[in-house]
Amino acid sequence: MAYPFQLGLQDATSPIMEELLHFHDHTLMIVFLISSLILYIISLMLTTKLTHTSTMDAQEVETVWTILPAIILILIALPSLRILYMMDEINNPSLTVKTMGHQWYWSYEYTDYEDLNFDSYMIPTQELKPGELRLLEVDNRVVLPMEMTIRMLISSEDVLHSWAVPSLGLKTDAIPGRLNQTTLMAMRPGLYYGQCSEICGSNHSFMPIVLEMVPLSYFETWSALMV
Amino acid sequence: MLSQIIGQTKEHPALIPFFLFIGAGGTGAAMYVLHLALFNPDISWDRKNNPEFWNKLGPNDQYKFYLVNVDYSKLKKGGPDF
Repeated sequence: MAYPFQLGLQDATSPIMEELLHFHDHTLMIVFLISSLILYIISLMLTTKLTHTSTMDAQEVETVWTILPAIILILIALPSLRILYMMDEINNPSLTVKTMGHQWYWSYEYTDYEDLNFDSYMIPTQELKPGELRLLEVDNRVVLPMEMTIRMLISSEDVLHSWAVPSLGLKTDAIPGRLNQTTLMAMRPGLYYGQCSEICGSNHSFMPIVLEMVPLSYFETWSALMV
Repeated sequence: MLSQIIGQTKEHPALIPFFLFIGAGGTGAAMYVLHLALFNPDISWDRKNNPEFWNKLGPNDQYKFYLVNVDYSKLKKGGPDF
């Protein structure tokens, strides 16, 4: 989950998010380098007494500042495309979970082996217990087995919503009349928080998502209890 | 237009890498669109002889442009034959 004064991305819980984190580090480093170079050059320009009033052209520096940015852009584009294709790979999920967005809660259906359906509403601020997170906790968490590839099918029963869990690098729109698919793979157990990411009315900020990743045996016990 | 480009590069040789990158980028974009038009299973050119090509895909066909990790020869078909 996010913590106060956070500057970067949340810790990665899925392999794709780890790739995205490293790509973000790589690209941000390039951005910082270019920005500091330009700031330095501007400061040089503003503090010099030298002038040259007859510059007509500058072929050599123009060649350099055409080739170098092109190379930098290629160095950004190739990892980006690699991650893009990696996100779309076939990976044989072991479990399918469906989630429908409503105004203003999420409902989940685990129908592979039994008929398990439940709604997930945010816990209002007045009813929070000490230590719980404001605007992020829900009454029924989405319990899922960790270290297993899970297919999420996402749609909506009324207006546009978006099912997002930043720690796993997931954000998929919930569109009425359309079924969107994403794959989820958490590498460690824990609680992972996300919030609805598409404006959907007055309580758009108050329909969070909480994934509880547990070992498979705990998941089997839980799903038997919840049916 | 090519003579214009050559004329401009004679006067300003710094334009040569610029035209090279623009040319390579434009060619790459055009070739990718052509690749999609010819090999993407969503597109049918010959409605009489090969309609609904998307219904005949096997699990071993590669129809994405670039693969990172997936070995298509090892995949099995998930659903039933029809």
